[in-house]
Amino acid sequence: MNKITEVVPFLAPVQILILSVIVIPSFYVVWLSLHASSFGQSATFVGLQNYIKVLTDPAFLLALGNTVLIVIFAVHLELALGLGMALLFASGLPCRRVLLVAVLAPYAVSEVIAVAMWRFLFDPDVGPVTAMLTWLGLPMLDWSFEPSHALIMIGLLTIWLHLPFTFIILYAARLAIPKDLYEAARIDGAKPFDAFRRVTIPLLGPAIVVALLFRYIFAFRIFSEVWLMTQGGPARSTEVVAVYLYQEAFSFNAFGTAAATAWIMVLASLLLATGYVFLLRKQVAGNAH
Amino acid sequence: MSDKSLTNITRRGFLGTAMGGAAMLAAGPSFAAGKTLNVLSHKVHQTVLGTGDGDLLKDWRATNDADVVWTTFDSNPLQDRLFREASLSATDFNVGYIVDNRPTKQIAAMFEPLDAYLKKDAIEDFGDIAPGLVQGMTVDGRLIGIPVRHATQGLFYNEALLEEQGITAPPTTLEELVEQAQKLTFTSKAGTPVAGMVLASDLAVFPVMFARAFGGDFINAKFELLPNPEAMEKGLTILRKMFEGGALPRSYATTKNDDQVTWLQQGRAAFTVLPFARFAQLNNKEQSKYPGKIKAIEFPISAGLKGKMPMSSIVEAWGMVIPANSKDKDLSWKFIKEVSSKRATLGMAKNGNGPVRVSTYADQSFAANSPVAAVEAAVLKNARGAFPPFPEAARAQSIFLEEVQLAVLGRKEVKEAVASIATRVKPLLQA
Repeated sequence: MNKITEVVPFLAPVQILILSVIVIPSFYVVWLSLHASSFGQSATFVGLQNYIKVLTDPAFLLALGNTVLIVIFAVHLELALGLGMALLFASGLPCRRVLLVAVLAPYAVSEVIAVAMWRFLFDPDVGPVTAMLTWLGLPMLDWSFEPSHALIMIGLLTIWLHLPFTFIILYAARLAIPKDLYEAARIDGAKPFDAFRRVTIPLLGPAIVVALLFRYIFAFRIFSEVWLMTQGGPARSTEVVAVYLYQEAFSFNAFGTAAATAWIMVLASLLLATGYVFLLRKQVAGNAH
Repeated sequence: MSDKSLTNITRRGFLGTAMGGAAMLAAGPSFAAGKTLNVLSHKVHQTVLGTGDGDLLKDWRATNDADVVWTTFDSNPLQDRLFREASLSATDFNVGYIVDNRPTKQIAAMFEPLDAYLKKDAIEDFGDIAPGLVQGMTVDGRLIGIPVRHATQGLFYNEALLEEQGITAPPTTLEELVEQAQKLTFTSKAGTPVAGMVLASDLAVFPVMFARAFGGDFINAKFELLPNPEAMEKGLTILRKMFEGGALPRSYATTKNDDQVTWLQQGRAAFTVLPFARFAQLNNKEQSKYPGKIKAIEFPISAGLKGKMPMSSIVEAWGMVIPANSKDKDLSWKFIKEVSSKRATLGMAKNGNGPVRVSTYADQSFAANSPVAAVEAAVLKNARGAFPPFPEAARAQSIFLEEVQLAVLGRKEVKEAVASIATRVKPLLQA
């Protein structure tokens, strides 16, 4: 008992911090999602009406579809690229340090600058990349007109921006695999692909799941790439859930529906990542024994 | 010789020096102003008041022993922050800038009614401030803001590009504008691909201007939605044809307001619609490839209505408000009074602000240096906002723009898009 009273004052700041910045605001958002609220008017209780309104809004459903599409496309492609690059770096590359800096550089670029840069490079009228594609006789990325092209562009941009994160996790995990295991596999007659399948992948498993889980969560809340690139247009066709939420809260000042959107977003991202969460739990439990 | 090192600090010495220093600072003269006035605005509202020797508030600061601290945002985040501050129990912001399509009954209730202040400590020649702008800041008969800036839209054109294509005069009707824009979609002598016209797709201003050229509107002052749907259809049909013909750039759907400025400055577009106050920026030698060649006229009405009715261009006005929950409201009023004075209005106009006083346009020192002053004053007489304020105005604008984009990009028939605007916006007006 004495020990607890001695420990509490040391733990209290952490608890207070978590309570004030996570728990209480979360409950406030739940409360807000059950009310109709805007500037200059007191909040009125509306029950689950905000949730129904959001879930039956075609714009939200389209935004949700776009988000899921970007998450699935971008996160998995990014994982494949990150894994490939990690293995390439681990196999020994000339000028590895310089290349490492080049690969990590996008992570140091502000998202605003990155989008401005990409907008210029892919400008349909004067963009250097567009000009090069045209010169090569290849079709241009008509992102300012064609919604599917805009989504591809957003996907590629988000991969470019976040690839260093996935890469560094996988590269660190790959370097941690003892060389002896590869040597033993080679002595047992394993070919490079067998070593990859039987040694690399199982031992990289936890790192892959962690990278995927983080990227699922980050990618689900994708905002700046879309907002700065297309603002959700043309005609709201490239809107994602975070942009929908922003519009509800800060353009339309409908705080109730914005709060409901936020909770739907949390639940949808958890649902999407459920498989990986269970996989991670299984791995953690396995390591504990 | 002493053993004491000069760097040795004793506790007594430290405390004594600290107390002595504090006492000296307390007894000495104060270098900062006695009061601080916090203002929430757009950056442009601050810059037009000048700096250094051209600071229009220099005397006011000295007289009132007050400093002005500006917090600036872009338009939408500014309104959001202002309303957020005004809805708290108390705010540190003394004055805020509000745009005239935002004060609904609920929003107006968060700001101090200014009629009593005006009666007690009148603004110099208040009747000189354009009555239409004052009306925009009056909600349910209560004056909540003092107009400070207007942005009246005009048609800008690059005279050099017009000459290059053998066009000797700017358009006088909307039909001529469309024809010229099509002719001006070419590659210039400088090798730059030129679009006939560049317009942002995220503002209701432009499609509404095209509809008004045919006598139509989006939502008029009487809150009538699409009072003349055929006019809106005609306006959108023209925009669609311009897009199909390349006179509006391929990137129309992602073009922003700032792009319009750079496209015109770089000779990438021949026409655009912008506030007259942009004239100086568009002709700035350091920024523009065509200084002195970018001119402005009134946006032309359609041939069928020319001479029968005036073109009603769009004007957006800003006003200064005092949050009801702020402190030192008398100081806020003094600031508003100073910024609204004839002297400050003239000074701000010379710095590129759309003047809210009629007398400013008559002032020779302003008119002589502003080639668009006369045309702007004439356009302002018939100008009105894009739509009136109502609680769901922002959502209504978003729906309107969505349908306009679908129609212009050819994803929906124009008639269908206009019908859809009517169906989707109507419930918002009723709410």
